Amino acid sequence: MRNGGGEIASGGVLMQDRSVRVFGLVLTLCYAAFIVWLYIRQPQTLAEVTGSLTATVGAYHVNQQAFEDAVALFHRDQLDAARAAFDRADPAQLDARTQFYIAYSYYRSGWGRVYQDDELFQKGIAHVDKAIALAPGHRLVVDDPEIYMHNADELRAELVQGLRVEASDFNPMRVFRRRK
Amino acid sequence: MTAAIEAVCLPMLFLTVALVGGLRIDDRVTFVPPPLFALILGVMLLGVLVRGRVLEPERFMSASRPALANLNGSTVIFSTFFAATQVFNLLAPYLLFNVFLFVLLVNTLAGFPDRISVLRSVGVITGSAFILKFVVLGAISDPGEGALKRILYVLLEGVTLGTLTQPPLHPIAGYLAFAALAMFLIGLAILSTRPRFEAGISTLIKLAE
Repeated sequence: MRNGGGEIASGGVLMQDRSVRVFGLVLTLCYAAFIVWLYIRQPQTLAEVTGSLTATVGAYHVNQQAFEDAVALFHRDQLDAARAAFDRADPAQLDARTQFYIAYSYYRSGWGRVYQDDELFQKGIAHVDKAIALAPGHRLVVDDPEIYMHNADELRAELVQGLRVEASDFNPMRVFRRRK
Repeated sequence: MTAAIEAVCLPMLFLTVALVGGLRIDDRVTFVPPPLFALILGVMLLGVLVRGRVLEPERFMSASRPALANLNGSTVIFSTFFAATQVFNLLAPYLLFNVFLFVLLVNTLAGFPDRISVLRSVGVITGSAFILKFVVLGAISDPGEGALKRILYVLLEGVTLGTLTQPPLHPIAGYLAFAALAMFLIGLAILSTRPRFEAGISTLIKLAE
């Protein structure tokens, strides 16, 4: 009787031991995978971490209301406010269209008749590169009648062109060119 | 060692060290994978740990253990290696210092260190590297606010051809490194604990040798 009780007790301990080991193994593998993922994706904020994780399981969505507000602000040339709203709409920076608009807003903020703001143009390039990388087949065309550049590649070329110092930069007629 | 410590605590502790070891914070957050030299140093430290019986592979992986326990054991061994690698990635400021650490580890391997000596040695090596990088070089490399300190910084950088200075560290970097180092050393201490009976047997064997 005592032996039987002992066997049951030791069986229970073994079962518990096995459960702990299985749990530990699964937890370790998940944690290791998460660390590898962090090193590959290099997220900058907690929002990017959670956004990327939800995107992995296909549950990430842009905040549509914030996006529409942002586009309206962008069209009214309230660029700082538009960027804040775009950031709210796509906190994980995973939506190609939103990243395109953010890049465009940096282009418009940095554009000047006499000179461009290089820092803002650099930020614009970073965002348009992200947009191109996120777009299916790396091709992004935004159908918005109120903007001049619809293609991400066109926007990128314009930003890169703005950073270059060329002889034509010293042409006084430059002041009459139009912001796109 | 209980199943919970082997299967959960140790891998979690060492993987956290591996995560924090590569974390760099300045104007943006980056995760830096270990350079090749850190991998070499990690292998050497693993060798030192095995030789000093801090890490006894047969306790974690052997034919007498069930497959599941062997899997848990392998995660402990691998996570120890990755933690060791990232500790060197975190602490070594220059290639020259890496070479110095390499020589130190070779020297430790050449002897026949016991468990306590190895733990002390690892504590001293990593602790001194921490003080050098995050306290001494951190203070030297911070240009600061005052004009005099900035001038001295430029002079020092010029005289030493930039070999003694490093990019200024974020205020939180030292604290993170300290936490990672503490976790690593705690992990090693847990790794080396043995039941009294086993410890007694190994002491007897050592005395007999």
